[in-house]
Amino acid sequence: MKPVTKIPERFVETEVDQELVLMRLADGDFFSLEGTARSIWLAIDGQRDRERIIAAVADEFATQPDSVRADVTAFLDELGEAGLIVG
Amino acid sequence: MELMAREMQVRPGPVPDGLDGAVVGPGQHLLIGDEFLLREPDFAFHYRRGSGVTVARTGAAEAGEEALFLSGSVYAAVACINGLMPIHASAVAVGGKVVAFTGQAGAGKSTLAAALSQLGLPLFCDDTLLLAPGSLSAVAASAGDAVTCLPGHKRMKLWPDAAELTGSVALDEVSASYRKVYVTPGGGDVAKPLPLGALLFLEVGQAGEEARIVPLTGGEKIARLDDDHYTRTMFDSATRHGRHERFVLQARIAREVTMARFVRGLNREQFWSSTHYLAEYLSAMCGS
Repeated sequence: MKPVTKIPERFVETEVDQELVLMRLADGDFFSLEGTARSIWLAIDGQRDRERIIAAVADEFATQPDSVRADVTAFLDELGEAGLIVG
Repeated sequence: MELMAREMQVRPGPVPDGLDGAVVGPGQHLLIGDEFLLREPDFAFHYRRGSGVTVARTGAAEAGEEALFLSGSVYAAVACINGLMPIHASAVAVGGKVVAFTGQAGAGKSTLAAALSQLGLPLFCDDTLLLAPGSLSAVAASAGDAVTCLPGHKRMKLWPDAAELTGSVALDEVSASYRKVYVTPGGGDVAKPLPLGALLFLEVGQAGEEARIVPLTGGEKIARLDDDHYTRTMFDSATRHGRHERFVLQARIAREVTMARFVRGLNREQFWSSTHYLAEYLSAMCGS
């Protein structure tokens, strides 16, 4: 599997009140990431593929990969559609 | 505030037709670099950094109408050109910090500030809150410095019914076509820079609805700051900021400043109870 990679030239990110806030530079839209979404985003390090991201998130929440697979996959798909990641 | 008082000095004189080859017609304004031009049917203002404001009168405009544009668009543009970040807000001082109120036109920013002033909280500014550029920098952020506000020197304006409701003494009318009145804040005003403690977004609830304060966090704070389109556009033009630079500034403010929605009905019967509720909340928050 290919690694999942952020496309840094397409967004800026910062942390406010323990929330990760992303702005898409093309249109100024905001994305606010908390909880699992924040963990998934932080697990995208340019090295891990989707399976390893699922494993990392499951590990963080002390659960089995199958119990987070659907949510992680759906969120990665959303990030891909938003043009913020590839892979 | 010396900088704004100096740069806002007005003298009559000729005003250019446009800036940088772009003609500015009646009802239009343009900010390019360190210059601003605003044209109305009966008058025009031109500002250049370091040279003050020039006004050209081409018709029989009322002095009050001219003053309205001067204290509105021209003031905001002069602030932006001089590196100050304006926020469309009125503010009072509470426990040595600034608490500012922003919202749509008619949301009651000035009325609320006037009422809180009658309760003993001194007025900090009316209509435009100016943030000091140095306090917004990355250097200031890493040093843990507060975001600093500069006191306004604009006269406070209220609709006559708001002046009466808040017990403010009405002075002269702004103009025959814009019938707000100038008032003197009951609690006095503040003449020194203070840290920005809180920014409240005023929202009109249902009549009879109990007033409530809803804290904002994270991305909501940044999105709300980004909604101030009028001052944002001018500031971006003057600073040549793109989305990235603006986001960094907004994030700096969002991290430092408490933000909340203040939702209340606008009926007169509940006005003072909701204002007292807010005053108590602010005093507890700012430790006064």
